[in-house]
Parts: sequence; C-alpha cells; structure tokens
Amino acid sequence: MAAPNPEGWPQRVAAFSCSPSHFLSSTTPEDFLSDLLQDLKDDKVSESTKVLMLGPLQEHPTILCPSPQVGEQTAVALLGIFSRTAHTPKSVNLKCHLMLSIATVLISTSFVKQGVKVAEGFLDLLFQTAQDTNDQKHGGMFRPLRAIACDCLREMETCCPGLLSHKLEALYSLKQQEMTPLHQAYTLLYGVALRNAVHCLTLQKDVMDGDLKKLLASNEGFAWKATEKPLELVQLTTMSQIPVLPSNVETKELKSVVSLLLEECYLLTPVMQAALLRELTQVVSMVQSLSPAIFKSQLLRLFGTVEISLLHSTLQMKGTFTDSLFTAEDENFLLKRLVGMAQHPLLSTPQKLFYIECILHFPENRPISSNGEESLPVLVTPRMAASLFPTVFNDSSTMLSRLNILSLVYLEADEEEGIGYIFDHLMALHKIVDHHGTREMTTTFFRAVYIFMQNFYLNEKYTRDLIESLSELYRSHYTLAPNLINLVDSTQKLLEDSSWPTDLLKALQMLIVELPLQQLVHQSLQWHLKVLGRVAKEEQASQRSTVRFLLNLLINSSLCGLGDWRIGNAVLSVCRNLLQHPNLDQVFIELADLLQFMMHSFEDVDIQDHARFYYTLLTNLSKEKLSGVLNMGTGESQAKIRSLSSIMAESEELSSSLTVHRTRQPVLKLVKLSEDGISKPDHSSSGPEDSTPDVDLLKVYQNQFLNPEFASVVILKYHLTFAGEVDALYHKLFCICLHFEQTDSNYERVSDVSVPCLIYDRKPCVVSLTLKPWRPYPTVLHASAIFTTEDGLSWHTQLDPILIGFPDLFLPLPVPVHWSQGSREQLFHQLWKSLCPEESSQSATSLFCFEVGERSLREVIESSFHKYLVSKQLNPESYKVLLFLPPQFYVLLKIKNSEDAASVSIITDNWKLLPFINSYIKCITDYSADRTQ
Amino acid sequence: MSIRALWIISQEKGESGKVRFSRRYPTVESRASRLGRGSYVPVPEDSALLRPLLTDLGLTDPEKPFVEARDGCSRLHRTAALELVLEGRQGAGAALWPVLAISQAGLILACLPLVEAPPGPRPPLPSLASVSQGFSLLAGLQAFLSGSGAGKAEVESRLALLPAALMQACPLGTPLETPQLCQPLPPPTVPLAGPQKQPAWKPGVHRGRALVSVAVSEQVRSMQYGNRARTDLWDVYGTVTCKCDLEGVLPTVTVTLSLPPNGSPLQDILAHPCVSSLDSSLLTASSVDESDGSAFSGPYKFPFSPPLEPFHLCFYTSQKKRTCPTQPRLLLSHRPLPSLRSTEQAARAGDAEELRAGRQAGRSQCLRMSRSSLMSFRGQLTNTDLRVTSGQLEVAREKSLLVWVLGSAGTDLLRVLHLELHWRSSRFLRTDEAVAPQEEGSAVPLRSQMQERLLFHESRVRCLIMMDSSSEPLTNEGNCDFNQPP
Repeated sequence: MAAPNPEGWPQRVAAFSCSPSHFLSSTTPEDFLSDLLQDLKDDKVSESTKVLMLGPLQEHPTILCPSPQVGEQTAVALLGIFSRTAHTPKSVNLKCHLMLSIATVLISTSFVKQGVKVAEGFLDLLFQTAQDTNDQKHGGMFRPLRAIACDCLREMETCCPGLLSHKLEALYSLKQQEMTPLHQAYTLLYGVALRNAVHCLTLQKDVMDGDLKKLLASNEGFAWKATEKPLELVQLTTMSQIPVLPSNVETKELKSVVSLLLEECYLLTPVMQAALLRELTQVVSMVQSLSPAIFKSQLLRLFGTVEISLLHSTLQMKGTFTDSLFTAEDENFLLKRLVGMAQHPLLSTPQKLFYIECILHFPENRPISSNGEESLPVLVTPRMAASLFPTVFNDSSTMLSRLNILSLVYLEADEEEGIGYIFDHLMALHKIVDHHGTREMTTTFFRAVYIFMQNFYLNEKYTRDLIESLSELYRSHYTLAPNLINLVDSTQKLLEDSSWPTDLLKALQMLIVELPLQQLVHQSLQWHLKVLGRVAKEEQASQRSTVRFLLNLLINSSLCGLGDWRIGNAVLSVCRNLLQHPNLDQVFIELADLLQFMMHSFEDVDIQDHARFYYTLLTNLSKEKLSGVLNMGTGESQAKIRSLSSIMAESEELSSSLTVHRTRQPVLKLVKLSEDGISKPDHSSSGPEDSTPDVDLLKVYQNQFLNPEFASVVILKYHLTFAGEVDALYHKLFCICLHFEQTDSNYERVSDVSVPCLIYDRKPCVVSLTLKPWRPYPTVLHASAIFTTEDGLSWHTQLDPILIGFPDLFLPLPVPVHWSQGSREQLFHQLWKSLCPEESSQSATSLFCFEVGERSLREVIESSFHKYLVSKQLNPESYKVLLFLPPQFYVLLKIKNSEDAASVSIITDNWKLLPFINSYIKCITDYSADRTQ
Repeated sequence: MSIRALWIISQEKGESGKVRFSRRYPTVESRASRLGRGSYVPVPEDSALLRPLLTDLGLTDPEKPFVEARDGCSRLHRTAALELVLEGRQGAGAALWPVLAISQAGLILACLPLVEAPPGPRPPLPSLASVSQGFSLLAGLQAFLSGSGAGKAEVESRLALLPAALMQACPLGTPLETPQLCQPLPPPTVPLAGPQKQPAWKPGVHRGRALVSVAVSEQVRSMQYGNRARTDLWDVYGTVTCKCDLEGVLPTVTVTLSLPPNGSPLQDILAHPCVSSLDSSLLTASSVDESDGSAFSGPYKFPFSPPLEPFHLCFYTSQKKRTCPTQPRLLLSHRPLPSLRSTEQAARAGDAEELRAGRQAGRSQCLRMSRSSLMSFRGQLTNTDLRVTSGQLEVAREKSLLVWVLGSAGTDLLRVLHLELHWRSSRFLRTDEAVAPQEEGSAVPLRSQMQERLLFHESRVRCLIMMDSSSEPLTNEGNCDFNQPP
C-alpha cells in the first residue's frame, strides 16, 4: 500500500476511530500501524498531526498490536521516536502523547514484565522524568511531561500491583519535595503504591515486627516479581474477608505517613481526594493495629460536601469501619443527610438517583442482612422518607425511584395510610394518561403500577381498584393494549402465584365482549383482538365469551365480506391460542362453528385456508396431539420456526425470520458458460439425404411459425456461484430465487429462476435464462436474488448486471432435423431472394470487407459461425451463413474470399440490425487480425 | 476507580443521534477483562453503542407508541446506571453495565465505569467506587461543554478543545480534575519558594487588588392548587456564589451568613469542597427533620481557601413544605367559559383555528388575572414578557388584566404561561410560571408553579466577611454592596 500523504492523516484517523472494524476491512492492522510509525518518524509531519496520529495507539492498541511481539516492536519504535524528539518546550505536548501511547501499548499487550528491555527502559525513563521535582532541572514548561510520567507510573502500579512496592521511600520523598500543584500526582502515586505494598505484605507468611517500617523505608529497584501473579481485589464490604497484618507489627511510621497524607488531602482536587481516601481506607483496614479514628478529623468536612465522589468515599469508609469510626448518632445523621440530598433541589437528577440508591444500600453498623439486594436501613422511617414523596413535576425516573423507596418504607412500616398516598399518586398519573399524556408519561404510569404491584400485591383493596381503573383506561384508550399486555406479562413473571394478572385480563375480556358492535371500528378491533389473544393463553380465564363474541362479530358485521387479511389473521391468532387452551372442551363446539364460518364466509383465500387447517386440526386431532403440533417450534431451531410459521403464534422472535435482510455485499454472481459447454440444439448436423424437392421449402418452413411459440426464445446458460470470498454465514444457501429486471422494452418479462440450494465448496449450479425478445437487440438485465441461509433467515442480494450481447441471440436455422444439406441451401436462397429489399421494406443489404490476416478465413468462419453455416465451398472459398434471431428475423451472409480481402454480403429483414452486425463482424475480424500480430 | 470509555452524543429532537466524541481507555479495559474473566463484555464500537443507548433513554422510534425494549414495565428506569443490551455482530445480546448518562440540551454524555468486583452476581451500584468518579467526570464535562450559557456554536468549538482538556483531566481513565476550559496559566518561571504546597485545584496565584464578592441568589418555587382542600406547596432554596481575588498560595476566608429577624433557618447545607471545616450544628439542620423549635439559626460560618474561579460556596434550602410566609403575589383564577363565550373571544382575536377548536370541543377555558393581583407589586409595570405554550393571551395593560384563552387544541396536559414582569424602581427580576391543566370543569385543581428570583436580596441574608490574608483587613463587615448586579 502506497504511503498516503501526511495531509490525509486527520481523515484516516477519524475514519479509524469511528469504526476500526470497518476501516480495517479495506486495509490490515499491520499496514496501518507501519504507515503510522513511518510518518511519526518523519520530521516533515507537523507535531499536531503526530499527536493526532497517536490517537489510534492510545485508544485501540490491541487492534493495532494483536500479538505481544508487535506490541513490543511498536513500543520500541515509539520509545525511539520519543528519544529522538527534541527536548524543547515546543515539543512537550508530543512527548506527553508519546509517553502515554507507550504506556498504553505496554500495559494493554501485557508486556510489563521482567526481562523485557523496552518495559524496563520505559519505567526508568518514567522514574527519571518524575524525579525532577519542582521543575528544578528543566523548568516549568516541562511540568505536563512530569504529570504524565506520574500518571503512567500510577497506571503501571495499578495494573501490576506491587511493582513500586520497594520504592516507597523514594516516592515519599518525591511527594514531600513537590510544592507545585503537581504534588497531587505524586501523592496519589504514593497512595496507590503504599496500598499495594501493604497488601503484598499481608500475603507474606511470616511478617516480622519491623517489616512494615522496612517497607516504608525501602528504596530499591522495581519489584518485577509482583508482575507475575496479580493481586486479588480487596473487597471492602462489611462481610467479606480482608487480608490483615498481624497486630504485633510496628505501625508508628505508617501512622505518621497516613496522618500526613490526610492532613494534606485538602490540597487535592475533590475526585483525587476521594481516590486517596479510598486507598487509605484500604490501608487502615488491612493494618488492624491502626485505629480508624485517624479519619475522624476529616469526617465533618466530608459530611457537608456537595461533591458526589467525596461523599461516596465517606460511605465506603462507613461500610468498612462501621462502628469503630461511626457512632449510632453519626449513622442517623449521615442517613438524614442522604435523604436530604436525595431531594435537594440544587443537585442534578442522576446524582439524586444515585443517593436514593445509596440509601437502599446503606452500610449500616449492624446490618440485618447483607446479600447485596436492596434493603431499607432500619433507621429510615415513613416520617423521614416523607420528603421523598414524588410530585407530578418530577421527571419519570426520579418519580419511579421515589415510588420504589417509599413503597419499601411503607411496606416495612406496614402503614395503610402511606399505601393510600402512593395509590393516590398512581391515580394522579392515571388521570394524566387518561388525558392523552405523552408516551413517556404512559410508560411511567405502567412502570409505577408495576412497582406498586411488586410491593403491595397482597393488598386486595388497592389491587382490585387498580384493575378497575386500568380497564377504565383501556375503555377510552384501546391503543394502550400493548402496554397492558406487557404489564400482565411482567407482573405474571414477577408474582408467580398471584391471580392479579389473570384478574386484570378477565376484566379486560369482559369489557371487550360487552362492547356494542358499532363501537368496534376497524382500528380498535385490532387491539381488542390482541388483548383477547392474550386472554386466550390464560388457563384460569373462561373463553366462552371470547368465542361467542368473535362469532357474533363475524356474523353480524361486514368483516367477512370485506375480507381484510389483517383482521382475519388477528381473529385466527386468537383461535390458535384457544386451540391450545387446556379447557378447550368447554368451547369446542363454538370454536368449531367459528372456524367453519370463517372458512366458508371470509372473503380471503389465505384466511379460509388457515381456518380450514385449524378446523381440521381441531376436529381430527386429540388434545395432546393438537397441543403437540401447535407447540412445536416455539423456541426450537430456526428451521422449524420457518417451516411452521403458518401455524406459529406471532411473537417478537419471529419477526427476524419473517423479514428479508439485505446483504451488505453481493453474495452471488452469474458467470456465462463458454460456448463449448452449451449444448444448443445442433441443427446444422444434416440429416439423411432425403430430398423433398416437391415441397415448397419456404412455405413448409414458414408454416412452422404459425405456432407462436416456435423458435421464439433464446436460452442462455450461466453458472450460479459465490461472488468471491463470502462470509461463512452464506456458505449454504437454500431456495434461491433469482429475479431479473429488464432495462428496455425489447424483451418480454424474464421469469424468475429457482435454484434449490447452493453450497460453498461444491460445484456451481447451472442456470438457464430464457429470453423472449420482441426485438433482438443487445441489452442489460438487472438481477437480484432472495435466498435462505441455514439459520432460517431470508436475505436479499443484488447481483452484477447481466450483459446480453448481440451474438448471444443468434440461433441456427430452425428447420426440421431431417432436412438435408441441400434443402437448407435451397431455403437459404429462397430466403435471400425473398429478403431482397424492395421499397419501403424493412430489409436492407450491406457489404463488409476485411483483410484476411494470417489466420485463414476458414478459421474465422469456423470459430464464429460454425453453427450457423449453411454451406461452404473451398474453391473459390465462399461461405453461406444464416443467423436466425428470434422472434423471426434473419441475417444472411455470403462470404467470399478474393485475393487479399474477404467480402461479406449481408442481407437482413431488419435494417436496424445492421449496426450490430457490422460491429460484430468488425469485432471478430479485428480479433483475428489481432491474433496474427 | 476508573472509566473504561466515554462518549458524547448529540441528539436533536426528531433526528437520530450522532456520536460526536468518544474516548476509550485500553489500560482500564485490560483491567476490566482481567476482573470480568468470562463475563467480560468489551466496549463496543461507537455505532454499536448508539442505538441501545438511545433506546434505553427512550429516544428511539418516536413514531411507535410501544416498543418493548424501550417501554417494557420490567425495564425499571429508576436507577442512575443504564444496562445496554448490545446488538449487531459485536457481542450481540451481551449487556454493558453500568453505563452512566446525563443528557442536557441535545447533548448526551455517557461513560462506562470500571466494575472493580469479582465476576459473579452484579454488585450494588453504591459499592463501586468508579461510579461516583464517573458522575464527577460527566458533571465536569457538562460544565466544560455547555457551562456559562454556551450556545450551539460555542459547544462545537469546545468539542474541538476536548481532547486536549481530557489529556489534562483524565489521561488514563482515572479522573484527575474537572476539565478546564482555559489552559492553565504558564507556570511561574521562578519556582514557588515557601513551605506551603500549592493546592492542585488552584493552578496559579492572583496578583493585584484584593477583592471578595459574595452573591446570594434565592429561588422560591410554589405549587398552587387553587383548592382549599389542598395546601399549596412552597419551596425556598438558594446558592451563595463567591469570587475571591486574593494574593497568596492559600489565603483563608470566612464567610458568615446570618439570618434577618424572623428569618427561617437554612437547611440541607451543602458546602463546596474548598470549605475546610464545618460546624456540626450547621449540618444537622435538615429538611428531613420536622422538629424545628431548637433548630440552629446561625450565624453560619464557612471558613475556606478560595480557588481562582467563581464557585458556589454553598447550597441550601429553607421553609420546606410549610404554608407560604406570605400569600403568593400573583393569584390565578380560572373558570370554564360557556363555549359560545370562548368562541366569541377567539373570534375577536381573529384566530380561525381557535374558533374551530372551540366550537368542536366546546370546552375552552379562560384564565384571568385580576388587577389586584398585579397591583400587589409596588412600582410601575414597565415591560411584560409573556409566552404561552398553547392558547392565546391578551393583555389589557390599562386594566392590568390578563386573559388566557386556553382553547382545547393540543394534547399536552400541561400548558405553561411564562410571565416576566419588569418594574421600574424595583431591583427584582421576577419569573413567574403558571401551569394549568387542560381539564374540564372548575373542580379540578389548578397547578401553578411560581418562581421568584431575587438577586441580592439584602433583607434575607446578611453577609459578614472575614479575611485572613497578609495585608487585608481582618474583618470586613457589611461592606458588600448587594444592590449591584455581579
């Protein structure tokens, strides 16, 4: 691949970042990577472009460096570029990006190991860069580079915990020396290294008294051993086991280190404070002789903060240390603050939602259970939660979140009055939906009902009222049918043994069947039938009223006469569910009546067929077999779904197999078979020499055309094969239907061609394309194919257009096989005579001369006109060729060889064919001339 | 405590969304794959993420009334984190969790925090440290992109600055600071000598005249039901904003807020992280507590060391859920009119559409605001800015009469009357919003929401400033001029 010019990089990088897989479909990762590295080395490329070019390495290193070796080479190359880049303030930004890219490549290809030169070299580089505290050596312009070096070191330590555990002393003194705002990076680096070092120490078998002190004072090389086996996570939940140091370990030094870190914590940005507090929380939790009270001085500041990450780390501290740091009073206070913040008007919605979640997972000092599920802290009382009561002006997620927590509160407190409040709120939402609320409001209402049911399904009073109001809602808004069905499905899944979903369905069923016929307009009927279809799945619901309703509907309305397929199908899908109903016996006769009525009266053949099929199933099969047949396919293989789709219930899963997908690239192609492979009916082989001289040959010949089908088509043969390398998905194709579309009106419509199957590594399939021309001119056909893959999905693909050339349309003289050579020649002459142009006739004559090259005339004739040859004479060399073009056009050629040139006399009954003939003869003779050169 | 990936998506109403910016953090990703083991779901390409995200936020297929993936009951949208079920060839059916997203004004910011937990049952959201870090980062990005009232063009130019800002604020997936709009001041050539470390949130030092400005803005939000059976709701909340130009690395300032006589105590105080210590009695006042007899009533002391930029020193609430201290000054009354009358009125306004709607439905409504309600403001009405979401508005200024013909067209339940009244000789800017339900009959409560913005409301909060800087006066009481806008 040619190296693109450097100006193209912004577009290339953008295209890569947008979709790496799509970008790499036109090139390979190796090529792209080598292009990148090459231009990164190029001095002519500007620094800002180079920064841009490092983006792919910083974001997708594993795609560009699929193997560790490539990763290592890339890192080496980048490190080389880094050291060659001038150490000037101007190129600091590029150096920062290079450093970041190297760290990213090394870490993500897991190459931070001992003995890897580049990793060792890079770590040394990072450490050296970090050692220039307070910008003494290089000045303030290089501060960003130092910042990145510290971050990279921290990331290395985080990904290979313990790597810096023998360098704590050095890191500590760096942290102490730094006075610029960069001390934050050093502080956190030290914090992470300290946490990991202590963690490593807890895993050692015999820890001596002074080991911790030694650890803090260590200043050795990198602890490469740590990279061999990654540390387990320290889980800071109350119940999990935290590895701890023995209590006899000397902790005086550690204590002073931690207190100093906490003291200066205030100087960090809030997110970094939170991060440091988490590290220190882990350290203190692992060293049991260190009292958590060390955090006490920070607590008040943390309790009052507006910053979400700081408060979150306080909660984590609470979870870790429980009553050794937080008194019961603190706990109550913290919880109250959380409730207050969960509804503070000045905080953002996601933040408030998060605080509500924190209340539900509040780390209590004495938790009753800790299974990770939502549970209400004991201290949250209805009074405390009252301020969380949702209002109509809350956005929907806040409203649902608050409803959920309040439901838990009232459920815990068992307070009837509170449930009443919540129910009132539901009714307020109900009213909004009833007044044509927005889609979002509707969805929120149904979710609120779901939450209500989740908590209060045992409270009969309200659940009964809820059924009533939901069916009232349906009465005025039948389009809510899918929402209601979804509610029923979801609650049924949630509350397995509750009868509420069934009761709701029964209420809806009652509502629908009692509707007066006039109200069942076309649109609403669809929804009603959907609901009834769902009701029919319910074992506990009596189906008699449904069947009667349907029968009444069909008999007393114009539906059958209108024959709307959709309505018919909707009715049938209700019937289908009824066929599976356990209490089918109760509605057997009515259902049979219904199906019979449909198969006789519904004005749609497909519906009639279906109804007849169901009727036959109903009346002939035992109940077990019936349900067996109807249950087949649900959730089974795709192939079954397809084959049984006619008796399948409609469901979401089916839609993918019922839609036709489009292939991205052509999957199939048609390749024309070479002439030799085609066995056109060979009329030229002359029959026995029986002359029929008495007969008017021309008349006999022309009589053949009284049959309009006679010799009216051209059959072309193609190989149907795969278009190059195709996705494995398409390696087995079935039921291929090729569809052709003509581009002009010279041909009759080309009928579709079906191919049963096509398998990737087997022989291609021969396809005959039958063309029936009105006017035999060259043309182009557009082709497409629909096929099914092995997984049952249907696909549509476009094929390359098919070019029909002029010679493709030639047919030999269509005469009976038994005609002798002589008869043919005679016919030729008669035709020639009859075609001689008269005035105003369509026929025309023409003459074409060409130079005969080395290739003899005979060869030219044999190769191009072999099949159409009527006679040949050797001396003087002359040929007679008859080209028949359906439906009934002729081109007659007399070819003579004179001394240095051949002449072709042409006669045709359609002068419009002349240009095609000319160009064709020119083409074959040029070809012969070309061959000679 | 890291973020695996970050996305910024623009989504205008009625259009499909577009990923404007994305950033992946491969080093964090390598940790995620090691932690997640078998259940690890890689971060998908942008195109594969977009649709599930928009579906989860309810922004896809606006023309379809019900789509199970979007509207299903059991997909509870009450948590702060989304679970995206991916489509397409890349990890089809796999669920990406927890995706945090905040959307505002056509921009959706989303990120995927690292789950630092062993594979197995999904841990509760609050147990993940990365989640709050993610929220902090998103909030910072939001301020970066659309802070201080940035328009569309401004947002575009800030998007272009984003990669450089992220290089500073979050180079390796761990947020270090909030993204800064302006590049930090070039570090002083002379290294700062002195025993004091410079705070990381204060990249430079101020040189020049010392100035401290404090502003209090307070908002009142009420919900009027127009119904004797229900008491109106009333909310007061406020923000104290500070801008301090003081020399020195770490100057300390104490702002003391004290209540006026009969002032109601501040509650739910949330302080900026730069506040160094807080009195516990100040924090205990909570709106959750009903016991207010012994509530702490100030003075409220906030000792802090200020950052360079203006910042919100604290947020507070007050007067939660009690009857209004004063009657709402803008009273809205409404009654349904006979259809004939409303038709007449509409006809007078010359709106044929309204006429038809009125005749068909026959349940138009009209809202009147009486003279007395407008007159309760002292001073003279100079300018009114009126906007309604539906219906028509007529102002008869000489009679101080406002007529709002609601009509019956449209399906929105809530109709908003936005009313801004400007007074001569008044320091107050008022923004009132009345929200009326489209319902029939007068028995239905009228909800209205009134907001009042008082800028520099000196009768409410008095300010005391103490400075502890080298040459500045130690105490500087009542020296702030509250009458000037900032």
